[in-house]
Amino acid sequence: MTSRPPTLREKRRYVLVRTDPAGTVVDQKELYFAVHEAVSSLWGDAAAALIHMAVVAAESQYVFVRCRRGTERELAIALTTVISCGGQKISLRTLATSGTIESLRERIASLQVKETALVPPEECTINGIRYTVCNCSGQKIDVIEKGFKNTTRFFLTKEDLEDI
Amino acid sequence: MKITDACVYPRPFGDSSVRRMALEAHELGFDSLIAIDTPACVYSEVNVASGVMIRDVPAQEVATRVKRSRETDAIVSVRAGDNAWNRTVLGMRGVHIVCGIHGTDRYAFDHVTAKMAADNGVAIDISLAPIIRERGVVRQQTLDRYHDVMLLHHRFEFPLVLSTHARSVLEMRSVREFSALASLIGLDIPDMEQGLSNVGRLRSSHSAVRVIR
Repeated sequence: MTSRPPTLREKRRYVLVRTDPAGTVVDQKELYFAVHEAVSSLWGDAAAALIHMAVVAAESQYVFVRCRRGTERELAIALTTVISCGGQKISLRTLATSGTIESLRERIASLQVKETALVPPEECTINGIRYTVCNCSGQKIDVIEKGFKNTTRFFLTKEDLEDI
Repeated sequence: MKITDACVYPRPFGDSSVRRMALEAHELGFDSLIAIDTPACVYSEVNVASGVMIRDVPAQEVATRVKRSRETDAIVSVRAGDNAWNRTVLGMRGVHIVCGIHGTDRYAFDHVTAKMAADNGVAIDISLAPIIRERGVVRQQTLDRYHDVMLLHHRFEFPLVLSTHARSVLEMRSVREFSALASLIGLDIPDMEQGLSNVGRLRSSHSAVRVIR
């Protein structure tokens, strides 16, 4: 099968998305199903077909989502309604839209320079309960209660830990 | 003009501390938050206002709690109910916000209650939580109710406030995302900006002198 000449190809746009909470590794296929469900439930099957969404790549916490040119707004709105992926609570933050993945990669590089990676303390105790620190960036600290049963993630700051 | 998320639930209601929510709100483009049952403070350049949420109690109890809250600087929100309930609540001095309109029946908020809200300066809360979290019929009904509220808003010009009712930082949304989601219910950019900045005016609405012609 020969590929179409560039002038006959449909124009596409790529949306750069960050997955929160930090440090979450999402499976590309599961994220595709989550975004697809969000798009089709919000806009319906006909509009979902027009948007022609695809999760192109997932690199650490950044994800590239493709759509047809002119439907970026609809895709961005649908992305805000994604609340979980593979049973894990997540949030998708739209960062940028571009015509090429390459320019979005440059954007990621500029964002990663700004981020300050800190060495977190391994664990902490809050109200007598021991927590494992799973992420630490700037003032933000995410902790998970130690144990098998309760794996709820709590979102705190350094000041919160100092106060306790 | 302060861009405000009109209702968030920090710990112990949710999984995020109020400081973390303030930090996140600052990154998402907000200047202030109303945090339920949290003392007023300033974190990360974000003003955290104290909020009181009154729900599932009889009218007498609402009146008592509103009276008690009047001594503090808290923003008082009352959960909407049927039409008679809403008229009672909207007539109470000290109520700032009526929320949960999306969960009521279609006659609960009509032209009479809309006029009462406009006359008394009580804001109607547009919660984005059901639009984000719900799917199918529930979300469709929510969008339908909000369209109806917007119709009455354009006619009677009662104040609107926008909120996420977030119990976690993951449920908070940026100002741009607010704008995008609000466009689903026909809220244009000036309406949305007004909705996000209305909270500051609510406190002074009861005490302000009004010229009636």
